[in-house]
Amino acid sequence: MERITAWLHERNPGLDGPIAPDEDLIEARLIDSMDFLEFIDLLESLSGRTIDLQTITIDDFRTLDRIRERFLKPSEAAKA
Amino acid sequence: MSTPSTTDAPVPGLRSPGAGLVTLDPVHTALLRGLDDLLTGLATRLAAPEVLGPPLLPAEGLTRLDYFRNFPHLGVSAGRFHPEALDGLAAGEPPTDLPLRPSGHLLPSATCYGLLLSLEGADVGADGTRLSASGRCFRNETHYDGLRRLWGFHMREVLYLGTREGAAQHLEQGAEFIADLADRLGLALTRAPADDPFYDRGGSRARLMALDPVKHEFSAPDGTAIASVNRHRNFFGERLDISAGPTGPAHSACVAFGVERWVHAMTLAHGTPEQALHRLRDALP
Repeated sequence: MERITAWLHERNPGLDGPIAPDEDLIEARLIDSMDFLEFIDLLESLSGRTIDLQTITIDDFRTLDRIRERFLKPSEAAKA
Repeated sequence: MSTPSTTDAPVPGLRSPGAGLVTLDPVHTALLRGLDDLLTGLATRLAAPEVLGPPLLPAEGLTRLDYFRNFPHLGVSAGRFHPEALDGLAAGEPPTDLPLRPSGHLLPSATCYGLLLSLEGADVGADGTRLSASGRCFRNETHYDGLRRLWGFHMREVLYLGTREGAAQHLEQGAEFIADLADRLGLALTRAPADDPFYDRGGSRARLMALDPVKHEFSAPDGTAIASVNRHRNFFGERLDISAGPTGPAHSACVAFGVERWVHAMTLAHGTPEQALHRLRDALP
C-alpha cells in the first residue's frame, strides 16, 4: 500500500497528512481522471494481475481499504 | 387549430446560410423563446440569479480546464485577418483563403465555462452559489443535422458551486425539474449516462467516465439528448481556486439544456412546429 499512498501524495502535493483508509479517492479527486489509467498500470504492476475494466466497478477504487481488498490481497489460489 | 398570430406568420425566402447554420422562422423562434422561458423556471425554483456570460473565452483559461486535452476537435477559434491581408480584403479579394492570426480566444462551447472562469479565485461561501445563464455555444462537428446538430446553438445552464452535498442536491433538483417539465410539455424522455465526444475515446478520462458517469443525458425518442445533469466534483474549484468557505475547493455541478434541441423534441412529439407551439402555450403559466 505504501507505493499507492506515495503515488497519491505525489499526484496531490497539496495534500496534508495521511489518507484515511475510508477516504473517497474518487469524489475527492485524489485519483484525477487524467491519471486514472496510470493508476490502473500501478495496480497491475503491484498485483501482477491484469485488470479488465469491463469487470470492475468504480467502487473497487473508491477507498484504500477497497483497493487493498480487491487488488492487493493474495488470491485464494495463491494462498492454497 | 386556431389561426396563427401575426407574430408567427411565415417569412418567405428564409434559407440556411450554410451547413449547421439556421435562421429560425417566427414559429421556431417563438418555440425557442417560450421553451427558454420555461427552462428558466429551474433558475426560479432554485433562486439562481440570471447573468450573461462572456461571448469569447480565453484559450489560456480553457487550457487550465483541460478543454483541449478532452475536446481539441470541437473548439471554434476566433481569428483576426493577418495585417498583410487587409489591403487585399479592402480591394475586394475573397476572404476565404486569406491567412488568419489566432486571437487567443474561442467561441464558447458550453455556457458554464465563461461563468466558471469569471469566478476564478472567488470564495462562494459555505452555502454555495447558483447562477443561471443562456448563451450561444459553438462546436465543430463532423456533420450537421437540422436543429439536432448545429454549429451554433443556445445552451441554458443552471450552475451550482459549493459543497459536495449541495452539488448532489442541485442535480437531483435539476433532474426532477426536467421530468416535471417534460410531463407538462408531453415529451417522453429517457435518462442514460452520456457518451461525451472525447477526442481520445480510449483515454484516461473517457475510461473513468465509463466506469463512473458524471454526466447523464435526457433524450427524446429519436435519441436526441436535450438536457443533461453534470457532476464536476471539485475539478473546477481546484483548477480555478474557487473555494466554498473553509471546506476547500468548491464542488460544482450544472444542469444544461440545448434549447434548439427542445424545439426539435417538441416538433417530434407534436407533429408540426405549429402544433408544438400550441402545446407550449398551453403549458405556459
